Amino acid sequence: MAALVLPAGLLVLLLLVAPMAMLFRISLNEYSPTQLMLEALQPGNYLRAIADPYYQAVMGTTMTVAFSCTLLCLIIGFPAAYWLARMDSKRKSLAVILTVFPLLVGNVVRSAGWMALLGRDGAINATLRGLGIISEPLQLLYTQGAVIIGIVAVVAPYMILTLSAVIEGIPRNIEEAAGNLGAPPLTVFRRVVLPLALPGVVAGSVLVFILCMNAYATPVLLGGPQFKMMAPAVYDQFVKGTNWPFGAALAFILLLVTLGLTVLGSALLGRRYKR
Amino acid sequence: MISRRALAAAALLPSLGARAQSTPVVMGTWGGDYGDILRQAVDQTVAIPSGLEVVQEIAPAPTRKTKLLAERNARRGSMDVVGLSDVDMYELAQLGLFEPVNAPAVPSLSRVIPSLRRPYAVPHIYSARVILYNPNLVTTPPKSYADLWDPKYRNRVGLSDLLYAQYVETAAIVGGGGPSNFEPAWAKLREWKSLGARVYSSNEQLAAALKSEEVWLTVMWLARGFMWKQSGIPLNHVVPEEGATSITYEMAVPKNARNPAGGWRYVNAMLDTRGQTAFAARMGYVPTVTDAPLPPELARQISLTEAQQAKLRTPDYAYQASMSARVLDFWNKEFKG
Repeated sequence: MAALVLPAGLLVLLLLVAPMAMLFRISLNEYSPTQLMLEALQPGNYLRAIADPYYQAVMGTTMTVAFSCTLLCLIIGFPAAYWLARMDSKRKSLAVILTVFPLLVGNVVRSAGWMALLGRDGAINATLRGLGIISEPLQLLYTQGAVIIGIVAVVAPYMILTLSAVIEGIPRNIEEAAGNLGAPPLTVFRRVVLPLALPGVVAGSVLVFILCMNAYATPVLLGGPQFKMMAPAVYDQFVKGTNWPFGAALAFILLLVTLGLTVLGSALLGRRYKR
Repeated sequence: MISRRALAAAALLPSLGARAQSTPVVMGTWGGDYGDILRQAVDQTVAIPSGLEVVQEIAPAPTRKTKLLAERNARRGSMDVVGLSDVDMYELAQLGLFEPVNAPAVPSLSRVIPSLRRPYAVPHIYSARVILYNPNLVTTPPKSYADLWDPKYRNRVGLSDLLYAQYVETAAIVGGGGPSNFEPAWAKLREWKSLGARVYSSNEQLAAALKSEEVWLTVMWLARGFMWKQSGIPLNHVVPEEGATSITYEMAVPKNARNPAGGWRYVNAMLDTRGQTAFAARMGYVPTVTDAPLPPELARQISLTEAQQAKLRTPDYAYQASMSARVLDFWNKEFKG
């Protein structure tokens, strides 16, 4: 039976582990403007990234955006997922297609749409000015808010579909039994549905959080030149600065922080589930 | 008696021969107008009629640069010719990525302006960095880069994030340094930031900001200014008193090109006067060959006068390459941060 995982395992080894190992090796090299990098085994790139207040701030922004997006996805995703899960099968397939519809549009195209909406001369500002509510255009684009809205629009379907799959597995009659025993709807949700849906909450949050931590196109396009998250910072080092060792170190720091927070979050929520 | 198999093989031979002859040349290029003009005025007009088959590999310059670096140890690379700015080209050339220019394979090299020739690359087109301003809003035209630090232009100077290294050099010149000394740039850039110089993500967004009159002035390539004027943005250009800095777009053949012979033939095709004139007329870049005919009015709009040409600065490639990480760091952390 173990042989069944062999093809997938080999593929992962070849396409993921090997490049990651190479990247890790690069992260220990020294940057050289004239020779690209010098062979070395030193932690200098990691130490510099960790000690630099600029990259601390970039990581802080990345985590704030990722947490905010995950929470927002959970808040708006749960009711939608519940509605989807309890829908009759005829309409459900249409609703699922509508849910995944945003994923059919590329990130860049979707961001262009947001830019048309949020820009200085965009639809929102034009409407507000037309109605005489504002005289000067509002700065909606190139803000953290714009990035959060943009990313939520990308990742919300992942949360909704994951949650809805788990909620579907919660028998309806448990909710009805709680109701019959006198629990108001909010208590049914808090004491019955939510605890039973917790595995979905964990899975959906982990998935969404990872996607948000690594977001690239949306922060670049909606955050503008001043806004920095980790993935664009890694890109800058590789592509603009040609500083591969430092870029590789930043990439690994992003990977480790994402992994650490994901494990921690799952463990905390998991413990609550066991109770 | 000839067997059917032999007949079939004989029938196949000419087509195989034709295929072997027309191994495509992969040109790593920018997309947009550059790629379009290349296709129309070089590929279809010169290269294809001379028997070359051309495939464009389109990506922004930083992406192609990174790709060349990533495959530098590969036996067979993905590009046969690559177009990059002179600064990028030098940076990669010093890492030993390119074949030395194969002069006998590029006969048109003899028509190229001698000062633009490099041992590792062939110049394609060039322009100069100038000041662009909106004449409706800036009534007294600026004369020098230093004028852009005048407090009367607070919040009215727009910059493109892509040209950050150019602004560092501009600030260095204003601060008393120059292409080989960026040290005075840092203080000048801090001052520019405090005067509200605005950074836009791309050249296109900067153009939109100039058009909407959000900003009134910028530092940009003369060629780009020419294109923006053509598109209806009210702009005039000024060659700064301190002297403009040149930008040359060059072509090189990577050492691991699959079809280096085709690559050099394509480089030669890019020097043909028809292509050179087309780039001048549509993008405002000056031909690098001495015999490309330009209408006088076009020449006036896109080239420098003799006096301006005499003050033209060439980037110090070695210094710029050695400073690239520091320049990016300062730009990201301090100027934009």
